[in-house]
Amino acid sequence: MTTPTSPAPTADIDIHRLTALADVMLPAAHGMPAVSEVKAVESYLPQVLGWRKDLHQPLVRAVDALDPSLFSIDRLSALHEEDEDAYVALTTAVAACYYLSPVVRELIGYPGQAAKTYDPFAYTEWVAEGLLDPVVDRGPIWREVPG
Amino acid sequence: MTYRADVLIIGAGASGGVAARHLAEHGFDVVCLEQGDWPDRSAFPGARPDWELAIRKDWAMSPNVRNRPEDYPVVHDDSDIEPLMYNAVGGSMIIYAGTWPRMLPSDFRVRTMDGVADDWPIAHSDLVPYYNAIDQQIGVSGLAGDPAYPPHDDYPLPPLPLGAAGRRVAEGHNRLGWHWWPEPNAILSAPYDGRRPCVQRGVCTSGCAEGAKASTDLTHWPKATAAGARLITGARVSRITIDPRGLATGAVWLDRSGVEHHQEADVVILAANAIGTARLLLLSADDRHCPDGLANSSGLVGRRLMMHPFSVVTGWWDDQVEGWQGHFGASITSYQFYETDPDREFVRGAKWALSPVGGPLNHILPMRAGNEVWGRDHHELMGRTFGRGASWAIFGEDLPEEPNRVDLDPVRTDSHGIPAPRVSYRISDHSRRLMAFQEARAEESLRASGCRETAVASMIPYSGWHLMGTARMGNDSASSVVNSRQQAHDVPNLYIADASVFVTSSGVNPTCTITALALRTADLLVQHRSEQKVPA
Repeated sequence: MTTPTSPAPTADIDIHRLTALADVMLPAAHGMPAVSEVKAVESYLPQVLGWRKDLHQPLVRAVDALDPSLFSIDRLSALHEEDEDAYVALTTAVAACYYLSPVVRELIGYPGQAAKTYDPFAYTEWVAEGLLDPVVDRGPIWREVPG
Repeated sequence: MTYRADVLIIGAGASGGVAARHLAEHGFDVVCLEQGDWPDRSAFPGARPDWELAIRKDWAMSPNVRNRPEDYPVVHDDSDIEPLMYNAVGGSMIIYAGTWPRMLPSDFRVRTMDGVADDWPIAHSDLVPYYNAIDQQIGVSGLAGDPAYPPHDDYPLPPLPLGAAGRRVAEGHNRLGWHWWPEPNAILSAPYDGRRPCVQRGVCTSGCAEGAKASTDLTHWPKATAAGARLITGARVSRITIDPRGLATGAVWLDRSGVEHHQEADVVILAANAIGTARLLLLSADDRHCPDGLANSSGLVGRRLMMHPFSVVTGWWDDQVEGWQGHFGASITSYQFYETDPDREFVRGAKWALSPVGGPLNHILPMRAGNEVWGRDHHELMGRTFGRGASWAIFGEDLPEEPNRVDLDPVRTDSHGIPAPRVSYRISDHSRRLMAFQEARAEESLRASGCRETAVASMIPYSGWHLMGTARMGNDSASSVVNSRQQAHDVPNLYIADASVFVTSSGVNPTCTITALALRTADLLVQHRSEQKVPA
């Protein structure tokens, strides 16, 4: 089983329209940029749809169904009711594009699921420090059974 | 000339791998049929940028969502919990968390101790030698001396790191006077048996590319095949065959092209999980010998399905704890509310395991506790919570009930046209009381550990990893499917090695006990081989 990694064509999706919708979902606020400011949709949507081909058609439906000039977060909830697959495709694609942006990752302090090294014997320090002592001092909590 | 094996094992997961290795190393000619393939670790998504997208589709835990050729659909329209599994060499160990708790003595005596369900026909002490042996085979990281357990052998490896969150919750429990202990994990904290240690990437449940998390494709199958066992992948079994005396003679299986084969064997071991095994027994019905399914004179095949109601309680601190990182797996565990307390409105209890909370997509499109928030408030929520949380994962003991069951769906089939299993399951009122109590205590735990806010995801439907009980063990053939050796009462050369045989569910992750039971079953088969009835 492999996951396709090549970008998917997105000619049937109006990128400007999707970006306008995404800017309502993730606007500039609280020190974070809007989706359009980091060019998240245009930069990453082909890759996201390459990874998740199943999102493509429901995303087309979502973009067709929502008018950016009238779009609000309340309308997003209505889409959830009307076409759940389209809602899932829209929220997943927009969020995935946004949080793939290195600018956004830097701002939230997320390096990805990185490998780390550690000392497997460091536990001796917190054992020596007495962190477990209260637990041990209370004694066994399991129940003896007959037979 | 038809080739007949000493033992045919159906399923190459946790129990199948353990049984195959032990039997092959003791001179048995073993053949195993596995519908999946060898896992390709280079395809595991954890280190890739699309990880959080992959776990929602190609690497989903639900076979219905993955929908790969090797998966079979599980119909669960009438179930409160969605069954989850993985079909490959290594089985669902490929996607399990890797926590490795043993069951407790009281888990085997719930009728005697608490007046509910049934006692097991074996005791905790019967399994201790096998628990100890399996810990060595698997390479378990942990710390001996947990007062929630009877004393037992030390683990082969030191415990995995507590992490910042584990440390804080440990201190919180010390303030409350509550139990905690570093969780034993089937995840290497140091190099072991040619495998590399965990790198704390936090992606255990979508496959461990490092090979640090134990699964039998790593820990058992290479040794089993070196000892002569033959493993056939892409082999989907459609039924077990029997002779006129009612003995199993082997199994019919279909290859990837749909071509039918028959594998003969003296002994058949089912190791296909509590849904797959029940399905196969029901598919093997024979009008003359077993019209209601093979080994089903008790009528209990498929019944008493248990799946552990599962809640997640997440807490968030004011500062960063790198909450996406760690092992998943668990850093610490608590058995404070595991054993029965007569002052509560339920019996039995639950085990808690502290886990990471995932990356950004899991925060904003939460699969567990949390909120989906869009607009300006989204950024405020992310700033307040991302990287600052940890989750108590709570498994409650699920008492067996006969209406909770697996049977065959009259309409849906797998890709070979074999009827799909259908699951009917309801979370009981007893479980709801038990879980509500545990959730409230878990919130107390996290607040005492300094969390500013908490959220509860109560009894999550997408949580059926622990499949148990559909061919229960017992001494009486009228009220059980297999005996204490996991040998079918009705078919003396048919054994069941997986969690189908569980009499009760306990409140702990079952894989440690599944493997210990499988090793015991294989060991007793070796010991009693001269007495074993086989077909002519």
